[in-house]
Amino acid sequence: MRRNGTVLRMRDVRKSYRRRQVLRGVTMDLSPGQLVGVVGENGAGKSTLLRILVGDLAMDSGAVECRGVLGYCPQETVLHDAFTVEQHLRFFQMAYGLDSLQRAYELLGILRCADYLHARLRTLSGGTRQKLNLTLALMHEPQVLLLDEPYQGFDWETYLRFWELAAALRDQGCAILVVSHLAYDTARLDCLYRLDAGTLTEAERVTGDAANTGLTL
Amino acid sequence: MKRRWSCYITATRFALIEQARNRLALVILVFFIPLQLLLAYRATGANQVPFYVRAVGRSITVDARSLGQITIALQANALIVGFTMFIATARSAPFDRRLAQAGYPRLSLVLAKVTSLMLAAAAVAVYTTAWMRLYWLPQQPVLLAAGVFIAALVYGGIGILLAAVLRSELAGMFLLIMTSIIDIALQNPVLNMAGAARSLLSMLPAYGAMQSAITSVGLHLVPWSYLALGLCWATGTAALGITAFVVRTRSHRATAPSTHPPATDEAVPVLADPAPTTQ
Repeated sequence: MRRNGTVLRMRDVRKSYRRRQVLRGVTMDLSPGQLVGVVGENGAGKSTLLRILVGDLAMDSGAVECRGVLGYCPQETVLHDAFTVEQHLRFFQMAYGLDSLQRAYELLGILRCADYLHARLRTLSGGTRQKLNLTLALMHEPQVLLLDEPYQGFDWETYLRFWELAAALRDQGCAILVVSHLAYDTARLDCLYRLDAGTLTEAERVTGDAANTGLTL
Repeated sequence: MKRRWSCYITATRFALIEQARNRLALVILVFFIPLQLLLAYRATGANQVPFYVRAVGRSITVDARSLGQITIALQANALIVGFTMFIATARSAPFDRRLAQAGYPRLSLVLAKVTSLMLAAAAVAVYTTAWMRLYWLPQQPVLLAAGVFIAALVYGGIGILLAAVLRSELAGMFLLIMTSIIDIALQNPVLNMAGAARSLLSMLPAYGAMQSAITSVGLHLVPWSYLALGLCWATGTAALGITAFVVRTRSHRATAPSTHPPATDEAVPVLADPAPTTQ
């Protein structure tokens, strides 16, 4: 379901690390109810772009406008080994100003992670940590969702659940941007871009069986 | 205001949980401090040693065993609290940054760190002073505890500062140890008695703590200026570290990310940085 308007607008975003130009004028719009993918090789600048969008990194020039509540799932699982899963949820409940953790518990249930509520982070597998990483990005029901390699470490069943969840959020009007170095399952996306040599170009999506067998572009 | 207070309470509770889970620091505190104090007392002869106390402008004689224990106590507690704060600050930096991005008030996170530092310093000071009282009776036990507290506080602040500028835990530990060795060892009675060295020694981080602790042994006055000197060191180092934390967790969006839907349809722009940054 597509809604009118744009919730995330990027215009000519440029970023360099010393002399190396990573982004050379990235322009893109994201609308409510749209699920967009950005693919590119390792080091293409995908994470840099997302970090600029969330305000974690300053761009050299360009413009970014974001309307609505933002959710961000970083590529690295930014969690704290000293705390339990529930303590993480409590911390982010305060950060987001939420009255309850009902949605967070629902998400943990969807991702089959609810049994680990009282487990310390250092005892969890990489995939389970990633589930919590994703839950923290979704628990406040954002209107704009930026996901950086969100399914890394997931088993196949959880991977499929992730896409079901993403589709449900899109249907509720959430604008979702998924960044990945692999172009699997591009048929699930409304739009696909390729980030190459610092510029963003619209790419053709693979549909049908080809997408489900994991063929890259 | 109510939300900030709730956030502060939550952050402080979790900061203390984090401290309590530093098992190595707890083991060192519980077992090594009594052992070190015992060894310092037994290994030192019962001689009287002159020590220059600036608050009274003259030398006083101190039992060498008491002096040895005070030196050990200041250095051990400085290192325990310093390294604990370094580890806690360094390991939680990315997480704190994510929390701040999500809308957690940075002031609450900062105040929680300061509170955990003060509570940790107070706990080790009381514990260590209680052990020293088993061997000898200072004229002012509260002042002795205050001296140990300030040394721990100063190095806790240095720990926060080093965590802001270093990436390696080994480098942080090494720098803390070297700093404390220079700081405490230079304040030995020989150098402390030398007039030329006094002005140099007074610039050391734990100078105020050492002067206060030695004063507590046999004098009745409270060296406020040296307590204040120690507090200035603690405040200065912690403030530098916290400033680095605030700079690192700043958002490049024009306003912080909202946690609730905006009242208007106004967009939040992301700021451009004219100067290229390094990766």
